[in-house]
Amino acid sequence: MLIMILVLTAFPLSIDISQFDLEKFYFSIIVVSLLMTSFLATEGMFEEDFEDGSLEQEFLVEQDFYKIVLSKIFVYVCFIGVPIALIGAIFSFANGVAIGSFMNVFFILSLSNLLLFNVFAFGNALSINKGAMLGVLTTLPLALPVIILLGTAIRSIQYEDGFLEISSLMIGLGFLISAIMPLIISTALKTHID
Amino acid sequence: MFDLAFNDLNEILAMDGHGVYVWSVYSIAISIIVASFLIAKNRIKGAKRKIKIKNAPS
Amino acid sequence: MLIVGWVWGLLFAPQDAIQGNSYRIIFLHVPAVIYAELIYFFMALCALMHLVWRVKLAAYLIKSAAPIGAMITFVGLFSGSVWGIPTWGTWWQWDARITSTLILFIMYLGILTLHGSFSNLEKSDRLMSILVVIGVVNIPIIKKSVDWWSTLHQPASISVSGGSSIDPSMLYPLLISIIGLGFTLISLGILSSRSYILGREKNKKWVSEYV
Repeated sequence: MLIMILVLTAFPLSIDISQFDLEKFYFSIIVVSLLMTSFLATEGMFEEDFEDGSLEQEFLVEQDFYKIVLSKIFVYVCFIGVPIALIGAIFSFANGVAIGSFMNVFFILSLSNLLLFNVFAFGNALSINKGAMLGVLTTLPLALPVIILLGTAIRSIQYEDGFLEISSLMIGLGFLISAIMPLIISTALKTHID
Repeated sequence: MFDLAFNDLNEILAMDGHGVYVWSVYSIAISIIVASFLIAKNRIKGAKRKIKIKNAPS
Repeated sequence: MLIVGWVWGLLFAPQDAIQGNSYRIIFLHVPAVIYAELIYFFMALCALMHLVWRVKLAAYLIKSAAPIGAMITFVGLFSGSVWGIPTWGTWWQWDARITSTLILFIMYLGILTLHGSFSNLEKSDRLMSILVVIGVVNIPIIKKSVDWWSTLHQPASISVSGGSSIDPSMLYPLLISIIGLGFTLISLGILSSRSYILGREKNKKWVSEYV
């Protein structure tokens, strides 16, 4: 969260731009900081559990990995993703977004975080203890569709056109990915332990 | 359809000022493809040699 | 066949009315980009086979095809960049198709890096297969990016369903180049997988007998 705030405040300060320019592309800064923050937040998602053997233990006692991964992602989204989305929405509000759009921005950023956290959790499950570089290489391409969707959603908020359609698509994708991704992640984790 | 699009070799090389782009792209691509073939062939040779050495009666 | 296609395209095909002779890069660029995507599809099929039926050879094929995919994606990106200099006045533009092809290149690098990160090769095979299958969602995005977003890049000039927008005198050498590059890449793939299988199975009896 601190990183999100830091990026959001440092960017306008580090380049001398007018409020008018800032209002034009403030959303890009939010998207980039959202991407960075969610990547950093999920960097060691399964690493510690893998290193201290708790994943192996859960595997040995035949715990349902799907439920473990699902609940872990859910906790991350609730305690990191949603607050990050809220900060993003507040900053966008401070930079010219109408009060009516505040909830839309918050909603879209939260949904994007749900998608991004799933993608980055997958990257973390693949690379596990092999460092962030591998995580970036494996998951950055997968984050691309989420960024595209987020960009489209933000444009729909800015131009007040087609928000319902894009948000419905993102909700559907959110459900789909939240259901499938933990299954894939648990397969990857089991491969590491096997 | 099968008439040469240029009058002489200089025209072919120059391609109306675009030759530097066209020829550099093709030469680099051909080099990369040929290098990939050579690397693969060398790897096969190397692997075969290693296996032969390993299997040779000591 | 590749040589015939390229010689025809470079020397015999007529000059383009708008782009001049720089369009001749098309005979390399378009086949390269087509195979950049097709190789990934092939890898995804192999990855499914490896994950579902545990076919070892499928994983070997992915590992052998990935560097070729990376190489041909690089050729596609590079030729596109150089073509952009005389045509668009810039060698790089953050437009949809170029960016998504760059992402495809990163995907290939990610797959290779992931496979090289673990000492247990069976584990690497499975993780790599999972990544390849998941990464396939990006391919339709790359394919359709030119149609979905406003971009500098022109839409596809030829399509499988017919109806191409280019003249036959340019289309035929292009088709021959596409088929020729396909054969070239298949033979490169065979060589590459042969070297990989020999290296990977070097302790097996059948390899000793084969060598």
